Amino acid sequence: MIVNMGPHHPSMHGVLRLIVTLDGEDVIDCEPILGYLHRGMEKIAENRTIIQYLPYVTRWDYLATMFTEAITVNGPEQLGNIQVPKRASYIRVIMLELSRIASHLLWLGPFMADIGAQTPFFYIFREREFIYDLFEAATERVEGVGVVDVKEVINWGLSGPMLRASGIQWDLRKVDNYECYEEFHWEVQWQKEGDSLARYLVRIGEMVESIKIIQQALEGLPGGPYENLEIRCFDREKEPEWNEFEYRFISKKSSPSFELPKQELYVRIEAPKGELGIFIIGDQNGFPWRWKIHPPGFINLQILPQLVKRMKLADIMTILGSIDIIMGEVDR
Amino acid sequence: MQGPLSAWLVKHGLVHRSLGFDYQGIETLQIKSEDWHSIAVILYVYGYNYLRSQCAYDVAPGGLLASVYHLTRIESGIDQPEEVCIKVYVPRKNPRIPSIFWVWKSADFQERESYDMLGISYENHPRLKRILMPESWIGWPLRKDYIAPNFYEIQDAY
Repeated sequence: MIVNMGPHHPSMHGVLRLIVTLDGEDVIDCEPILGYLHRGMEKIAENRTIIQYLPYVTRWDYLATMFTEAITVNGPEQLGNIQVPKRASYIRVIMLELSRIASHLLWLGPFMADIGAQTPFFYIFREREFIYDLFEAATERVEGVGVVDVKEVINWGLSGPMLRASGIQWDLRKVDNYECYEEFHWEVQWQKEGDSLARYLVRIGEMVESIKIIQQALEGLPGGPYENLEIRCFDREKEPEWNEFEYRFISKKSSPSFELPKQELYVRIEAPKGELGIFIIGDQNGFPWRWKIHPPGFINLQILPQLVKRMKLADIMTILGSIDIIMGEVDR
Repeated sequence: MQGPLSAWLVKHGLVHRSLGFDYQGIETLQIKSEDWHSIAVILYVYGYNYLRSQCAYDVAPGGLLASVYHLTRIESGIDQPEEVCIKVYVPRKNPRIPSIFWVWKSADFQERESYDMLGISYENHPRLKRILMPESWIGWPLRKDYIAPNFYEIQDAY
């Protein structure tokens, strides 16, 4: 029996197709079919100088990228008899061995997952993070990238961590005093620089503050009812009587619905991504006349073209990640 | 009844109409479409530096369209910021409002969304094209008289 193990696999090996000949459970033959990720790297190399070709090489083995760059550089060096200074050689060795550890760690995760142990998959990423930190210090990825000025931030209407990372202490939980946030002791996290590192620090700080708030809330939880049983604001339509034409014998009874008064209101809340707001215009029945959602991701995304001007291509992902958008709320 | 901002505008002789207060006590003003750009600049100079939200809605089927702007002042560490809500009403046949992108840049995507959903075209907006619907879509989805094309529901006969 000939079975095809198609190009997509549950583990992270990439796109590889295997045509396996089986006899029951025994494997007789296996034919790998390659080429699903062929990008013509060798043909491209014939028309690029070495410096121009370096961005391509990181895309060969994308988990141990330093090795690909090392070999791209070693080749012409040895061909042209260029001497490498000792210090450079030592630095290269340090980076290469760190990259080797990173690659082996990332092999270990899916290997264990293939065998059946799912948890090490997550632990390896934690270990890899330490190596990423060292690489980041050497190549300076997050600091100084995507800087927004204070006046620009206000003018563009940003909110949430983007606002607080540029030096403005504006947190709707402190400003609006909704729910019962004023009964807890907590600080607004803010930074001055306005780059991606500042946004990162603001978000990490907010997580710590949230833990403090949760602990205080759990200690001070008051007794009493949790439903407001006095509210009677039902929808005006009366249920039909049992002997009227409209009465439905078989379908379920509709639940009483809340009637919205004929007012309009803009409510807002400090969501993790920024200021989430709803502008409701009520009509005198259960359905709102207009329900406008003000999503933080939609507003924060407006500044992206300005932030990425004059930055490198690889910084786009850093900046986009630090803006923290989620397309569900951007598109609605 | 007039709020403090309305009184200030009257003192400076700017044409507007006060629409009272909304449910939370936020002052609401109505501005005419021709005056909107100049009053927007005046409000920016007055101190409202943050356009919180720009929304548009359909007042009545066959009636006017409204464009709503919520403005507030952001400063570090203040309680109870001042807020104001501005409404601009336009007729349904030719809905044109001056864009305030050049005053508050956060109106960029929001005005495009109002254009996309209700058909209000904002003059002097740098790239006024559809943002959420596909660019070749015809019709303004959030108007109350919009008919969704090719939309059939199976109804049970009573």
